[in-house]
Amino acid sequence: MLDIKKLERRWLKYKLKSYAPYFIVLIVIITSLIGSLIWLNTKKPIQPPIMTNKLNIPPKNTTQKTPMPLNDQNTTVLEPSMEFVQSFQNTPIQEDASKSPAVLSKKPVHTQSLPSTPKTLNMPEYTSPPIIPTAVKSTNRDGSLSINRNNENKLDINDLQSRFKETSNANLGLFIARYYYDHGNYDEAYNYALKTNNINNRIDESWILFAKSLVKLGRTDQAKKTLQLYITQSNSETARGLLDAIERGNFK
Amino acid sequence: MENSLFSKPRELFLDIVNPRDYVQIDSVSHMYQSLKSSVQKPLKMILLYGRPGTGKSMLLHKLHHDLSKHQKVLMVSTPIVDEDDFLRVLAQNIFGHAPREVMTLNRFLEISSALSLSSIPIVLLDEAQLYSPALMEKIRLISDARAIKFVITLHKTDQEDIIAKEHFQTRIWESIELQNATAEELKIYVQKKLLKSNCFDVANMFNDKNMKLIATLTKGNYRDTNKLLFSLFSLYCWYEENNPTLIKYNAIKPKWIEMAAIHTGLIHA
Repeated sequence: MLDIKKLERRWLKYKLKSYAPYFIVLIVIITSLIGSLIWLNTKKPIQPPIMTNKLNIPPKNTTQKTPMPLNDQNTTVLEPSMEFVQSFQNTPIQEDASKSPAVLSKKPVHTQSLPSTPKTLNMPEYTSPPIIPTAVKSTNRDGSLSINRNNENKLDINDLQSRFKETSNANLGLFIARYYYDHGNYDEAYNYALKTNNINNRIDESWILFAKSLVKLGRTDQAKKTLQLYITQSNSETARGLLDAIERGNFK
Repeated sequence: MENSLFSKPRELFLDIVNPRDYVQIDSVSHMYQSLKSSVQKPLKMILLYGRPGTGKSMLLHKLHHDLSKHQKVLMVSTPIVDEDDFLRVLAQNIFGHAPREVMTLNRFLEISSALSLSSIPIVLLDEAQLYSPALMEKIRLISDARAIKFVITLHKTDQEDIIAKEHFQTRIWESIELQNATAEELKIYVQKKLLKSNCFDVANMFNDKNMKLIATLTKGNYRDTNKLLFSLFSLYCWYEENNPTLIKYNAIKPKWIEMAAIHTGLIHA
């Protein structure tokens, strides 16, 4: 005997348990973000005055620290040599890349951050390498061949169709219509939805399938008219939603 | 409660092995055809193995149901662990001979050679992993003497690979492994079962999302699927009687699938 109340409580407990790791991760991320923000805010006033680093980089990419006199606050004032930037501007990057690649790729030895230069390097646009289509292998890891049998795993749709002919069961008609719609056979989906509607014109899903199949078959106007008629009769929210989607072009 | 829309589907998923309830799924059907053709070959032993709930017993029962129309077939569903009892049951059911004295292997082989049967009788042994090695050795000797052809089913476990056992490795001439069902196969299984019993409206309620969830929970195990669906339809029966407004007739509620899984022990909550 089922104890539904107890089962619902257990389900709620299970759901909470299953979502717990996500909550924990979310809380950790939020707290770390907040923590880092607070840390940055508290760090700012303690920070020493900003150092003006001056790098004197010779043209051959040998970075050398120029001894500079210390100011009153014992901070190093470095003056950047902008010669190398000018050299980039003077020569096109494509040509320069082959001659002095080290200047671009090598990182400066100094740990001080370089002052941000307003100039930007004109790099050639990145083009992704062409994707070479690879042949799909049908062999398994052990080398054995796996054969896909596409005609398998299908319901005996012919059997269902003949049963539908015999019984004229609306639910079976709907099942077949849905089967065809799912398999992209919109002609048959349309036919069976129509037959189902003739048997029972109060099945919401059947009308929806009927209209959807019409849209898929390129008969959008007919689908709209059908839905409008059906909405006036049934006041169906689902039908209204579908009609809106078709009119907005969301459903094609 | 009995007139409920869901009471009939619930009864369909009672975990009973009945060859009439056999649902033809292409992969299983393929296995069954190869099993049937193996039985026709002059093999001594045929092994049918796989994880629990892959449909071994159902296939064996189906084979028994189909073959018994044409030839002498004995189905041993529950293992007979006592050697004397085992040989006695075989002698009585196959050769129609019930000796009063203790049945030894030699005596059994004498009886079988004395009777000239047109075709070798077939014995189907379910749950053969429960037989002792000594009895398995006697089964091997009987099959070697071509007195009886055996079709046996075994559980495949992670701990021991039964096929590797010596007495199977050398004597099995054909082995067929059954696999767990995929989500697609499970969907076909459930829908065919429902459609077979004209439960069209309930079959319409199962969508791909539902079946994916069921396949994840049961790991493609047919027995667990039956148990889960039995519980699910029991839940639906309860809600139909006590709180019908909660039922949506266009789709199965994932929440209720999970609740059924909790009830059957597939989810530990």
